[in-house]
Amino acid sequence: MTNTEQLQQDLDYIATTVRRRDRPIGIPAIYFLWAAIIGIGFALPDFAPRYLNPFWLVCGIGGGLLSWWLAERDARQSGVNDAELGKRHGLHWGIGGIAYALTFLPLLLGQVPPQQGGAGFLFTTGLLYALAGVHLERPLLWSGLLMLAAYALLTVFALPYTWTLSGASIAVSLVVAGLCAQRARSGGTPQ
Amino acid sequence: MKALEGLDPAFEHRARLAIAVLLARHGEISFARFKQELDMTDGNLGAQLRRLEDDGYLGLRRDFVERRPVTWYALSKPGRKALDKHLAALRAVIAASVA
Repeated sequence: MTNTEQLQQDLDYIATTVRRRDRPIGIPAIYFLWAAIIGIGFALPDFAPRYLNPFWLVCGIGGGLLSWWLAERDARQSGVNDAELGKRHGLHWGIGGIAYALTFLPLLLGQVPPQQGGAGFLFTTGLLYALAGVHLERPLLWSGLLMLAAYALLTVFALPYTWTLSGASIAVSLVVAGLCAQRARSGGTPQ
Repeated sequence: MKALEGLDPAFEHRARLAIAVLLARHGEISFARFKQELDMTDGNLGAQLRRLEDDGYLGLRRDFVERRPVTWYALSKPGRKALDKHLAALRAVIAASVA
């Protein structure tokens, strides 16, 4: 075997090793957590509006902190502490927070009736998750696309209970993403 | 061939090069994770990691995860510099062989 052939084989081995770790598959517990928070939180404007603000104050902040702890625990257990990926997640979801605030703006200014505001959040969440699927964790791509499809249906057919239906769509998408991630992990797909 | 002179002996073993490339890409990786990713025995992996550590290319940190000791490895600054230099030399070798 020549030196060049040896080098080629070594590089193939390294490329295969690196590629196996290229696409993180997500943390199922975080998907299930947000499916529960969003499913309940989005139903509140339709069924119990007085609990809306306290719920999001506690569960929004608490969910964020719990997600961070779950991600930290997963990194320690999986044996990969990728600070760069952590920064990318922070930046993506931080921009998501700004997008949510901007989605809330027309509601705050009274330009959109509160009953119809849910669809806007569904659109923002769909976009945020689909892009996270492209740049961060692949299972989120499909849940993001499902949310965008649900947004189109809700807008075109002007269905009632938009908040509840939006929340349910997001929750179902996240459960699907969580199950996909769980299956990928139990199938031995390396993290 | 002049390009061969730029190759770092520490990265000539493909497992050591893979360790360095994985660390350059993912920051910090545990011993157990390396074992799984590279499919190596404890002894062989330990020897390759020690070689990189002796050259000052790796830093290590000991920690406990669920009461079990875990050793984490990260690429040092000289290690990253040496890896960049080695990869540039590899590119030159391949370019020269293709030309």
